[in-house]
Amino acid sequence: MIQPHRSPIAATALLALCLSPPAAAQDSREAEIAAKQAEKAKSLQVYVPSKAERIITNFEREAIISPSGPFPFLDSPYRGGGFTLGAGYRQFYGDASFWDIKGAYSIKNYKLIETSTRVPLGTHGHAGVRGGWRDAPQVAYYGLGMDTLPEARANFRLKQTFFDGYVALRPQRWIVLDAGASYEDYKIEEGRGSAPTIEDIYNPITAPGLGISPTYLHTQGTVGIDWRRSPAYSRSGGFYGVTLHNWADQDDVLTFSRLDADVVQHVPILRDTWVLSFHARMESTIGDDDVVPFFLLPALGSGSTLRAYPSWRFRDRHSLLGQAEFRWIPNRLGMDMALFYDAGKVASRREDLDFDNIKSDWGLGVRFHLPMYTFLRIEAAKGSEGWNLVFSSSAVF
Amino acid sequence: MRRLTFALVILAAGLALAPFSARGASQRFYKDDPIAREPDTQDASKVAEWEINLSSDLLLNLFTNPGDLTPDVRAQNINTIDEVPDSSWFTNRIYVKPVSLEELKRGPNTMDGPAPGRWTVIRPKTAGAAPGFTVRDEKGEVWFLSFDGKRNPRAPTAAIAVACRIFWALGYYQVESYITSIDPKNLEVAESARIRTLSGRVRQMQMKDVRHVLNRSARSSDGSYRVLAARALPGRVIGGFRFYGTRPDDPNDVVPHEHRRELRALQVFGGWTNLTDMKAGNTLDSVITEGGRSFVRHYLQDVGSSFGTGALERKDPDDGYEHLYEGAPLVKRLFTMGFYIQPWQYMPYPKAPEVVRFEGDRFEPEEWKARVPAAAVKRARADDTFWAALRVMAFTDEMIRTVVHEGQFGDPNSEKVLADALIQRRDKIGQVYLTKVNPTHKFALAGDGALSFENAAVRAGFAKPPASGYKAAWFRFDNATGQATAIGETAAPNERIPGPSGLPTGDGTFVKISISGVDPSHSSWAQPVDVYFKRAGGDWTLVGLDRLPHMNPEPMSVKKR
Repeated sequence: MIQPHRSPIAATALLALCLSPPAAAQDSREAEIAAKQAEKAKSLQVYVPSKAERIITNFEREAIISPSGPFPFLDSPYRGGGFTLGAGYRQFYGDASFWDIKGAYSIKNYKLIETSTRVPLGTHGHAGVRGGWRDAPQVAYYGLGMDTLPEARANFRLKQTFFDGYVALRPQRWIVLDAGASYEDYKIEEGRGSAPTIEDIYNPITAPGLGISPTYLHTQGTVGIDWRRSPAYSRSGGFYGVTLHNWADQDDVLTFSRLDADVVQHVPILRDTWVLSFHARMESTIGDDDVVPFFLLPALGSGSTLRAYPSWRFRDRHSLLGQAEFRWIPNRLGMDMALFYDAGKVASRREDLDFDNIKSDWGLGVRFHLPMYTFLRIEAAKGSEGWNLVFSSSAVF
Repeated sequence: MRRLTFALVILAAGLALAPFSARGASQRFYKDDPIAREPDTQDASKVAEWEINLSSDLLLNLFTNPGDLTPDVRAQNINTIDEVPDSSWFTNRIYVKPVSLEELKRGPNTMDGPAPGRWTVIRPKTAGAAPGFTVRDEKGEVWFLSFDGKRNPRAPTAAIAVACRIFWALGYYQVESYITSIDPKNLEVAESARIRTLSGRVRQMQMKDVRHVLNRSARSSDGSYRVLAARALPGRVIGGFRFYGTRPDDPNDVVPHEHRRELRALQVFGGWTNLTDMKAGNTLDSVITEGGRSFVRHYLQDVGSSFGTGALERKDPDDGYEHLYEGAPLVKRLFTMGFYIQPWQYMPYPKAPEVVRFEGDRFEPEEWKARVPAAAVKRARADDTFWAALRVMAFTDEMIRTVVHEGQFGDPNSEKVLADALIQRRDKIGQVYLTKVNPTHKFALAGDGALSFENAAVRAGFAKPPASGYKAAWFRFDNATGQATAIGETAAPNERIPGPSGLPTGDGTFVKISISGVDPSHSSWAQPVDVYFKRAGGDWTLVGLDRLPHMNPEPMSVKKR
């Protein structure tokens, strides 16, 4: 309560004091009012914010006015890591540049430590560099294609050291031009956890690149049109973009390129009473003869792709994903609901990306958001392998 | 503890109600009743600046019920004839006094706006969504500039220009606001100007910061920028006021704000203009020193959230229809998958790009809601809304079209749509609020004992005269004891009721007359309005008016159920 007087009794007493006719009878209305004001003048108080107001004020000062300092970091160190806790420290410099260092640890013993800096490029974009290290000791691998069984799961441990630099430009409000280059050093080791380690079940034929820990120079470029209000929360607009990747193996054994195409469209109905949201994504390895290591193959299954399936459930050289949501808005300030349907397929050949043998799921979700940012998404999804519960701190697409 | 608190609240309310019209052991009417001005008698020069945290203010008003919980409390800053005296909060203008079209055009403005020539940017804008900054013109006058958003040209500045004139005419202290334009070449940045960057660093403000603001603003075809220049308030600005409680360090602030009629009346005025962003952050207090005495003047400082657009884009469709958070609609939408449909979700709006979401056809005055409920507005009673509706109804069509023209719309249809909607909404307000209570007013008691008055609802054409006319019960009134002694009853088919025989004639005597309308189709008219007249020099002077009983003893929580 933000009340100048903290107890109801005090407030009541003051109310009576201020408003009741004064003890000494007055002979005019003005004198009566003057007497009340004189009475109050005897006991003026400096306004003391309540505890709640002080907490909110302090939070705003720390988070907005002086944004440098520690912050919570809840992103997963690597997909499939499970519930994660983390923290970081951010220091601003210049007008809007910052560097930060952050670390995260997940329930599955996934770890990440990362440092980065980001610099605005006028009002039309920003650039940044980043470096870090992650350790994901029980990443799932189920084999190639759509016909793999859940029981075929094996685990491997992925360690990655990375340094990258990127430029993200918005020459016009809707135009997306992104480019980046990164040094990625992978170490693939025996998996941990309850599933067998990958070497026990798979070989370089069924898990391409198994036994090799490549070091890549990864370059990528994106062009697109984005007229959503915000990628992290939107009820209208769309995104249409393509990204070209090249992973250049420093030993020139596992070099490959990939083209990603993404389409997002939000269709508001009846002034956002409902929103139909659609997402289509294709990830396609370009060179038929290039060997793509199993851990970098396009994959489906996760809280943002096929949501009823565990992370990395399906992998192959090409993937196609379609998602549709029927959203309704119980509260425009911060709460959306969604019925969703996901369907997808991976294939070894691009021409096999058809509607045969696709996997699908459906489910119900609730999202809590700010005007331009989703901070909590909870979804229950049902697929052919059962139910899956998704907790995420980001929008699905 | 709760029982004790409740008992104390009831006790205090009983002691305290209607402070400017005291009853009980002391005399009912003083020699200076009804007062025309609420005085500020104490020196307020030491009132300190405060900053009301907007987030906590929003949360508090959305999720709790701050202020006095006593139900159905009569406004406490009214005088004995149920009117709001002039004060540091309010100045009676329209309805009470004639307001000419010229006065309406001028509104709060006292000059011609910023002096042309070079303007020096002295501060960035730190509050509100609209792009802007603060400048000093060549004559040294300080102006807060507010630009139209890039995708919303003319609409925000027009809304401010129109709304501030309306609220000025209604009686509120308003900021002087002028629509003008600037050529960026005439801007320079003061060496002393400082800006806090996103990083939290404070540095000297530069032209690139000015350009950043201009880049977010709508630019005219000739390269200039239309801007709303708001003149710096006089006095020492000390932050805003809440819509409940009092300022603990202002000795003159003795009426809880939730019980101030002019703040409660914002249910009506806000609904009329769709002033949806009603919050402490859009108010300002300033310590004014006049004649060697300092007092706090209270400004309804930012009424720019009026009509159908926000600072940067059109308003959300539920603006004016639902608070930001309401439990019941949330649950209904949640479990019906959004099929709990309300009119705001489909109602059509006229094509008016500089007004957008504002119309009069489907406006329902009692259903109108600000984004966040203001404590004072929640406590508005039928006598408060009647008082406000009289003022809204005092705006003629011509006055409305005149004031809307001051928005300097670029699209003639937008100007017409806004004026038409205001006229429609005005009439709906009259229809609803003038008929909700016994609408008799403008009482006069002639020397021969005939009582004349007007029925506001009938005069406005919203109701027919009561089928069985009016009746009046007459009493001698003892001002010292509050005792009323019956004299007789009279009746009339029209708005002039003859007096009974035996009316007192002595100087200093009082009569009380209870007037009601007799018509089964208007049950509220059967609730009599009590008026009090004092005899002096052979004439009767109105000294008291009670339109509604003082309080409902039922606690608010019980009433809700």
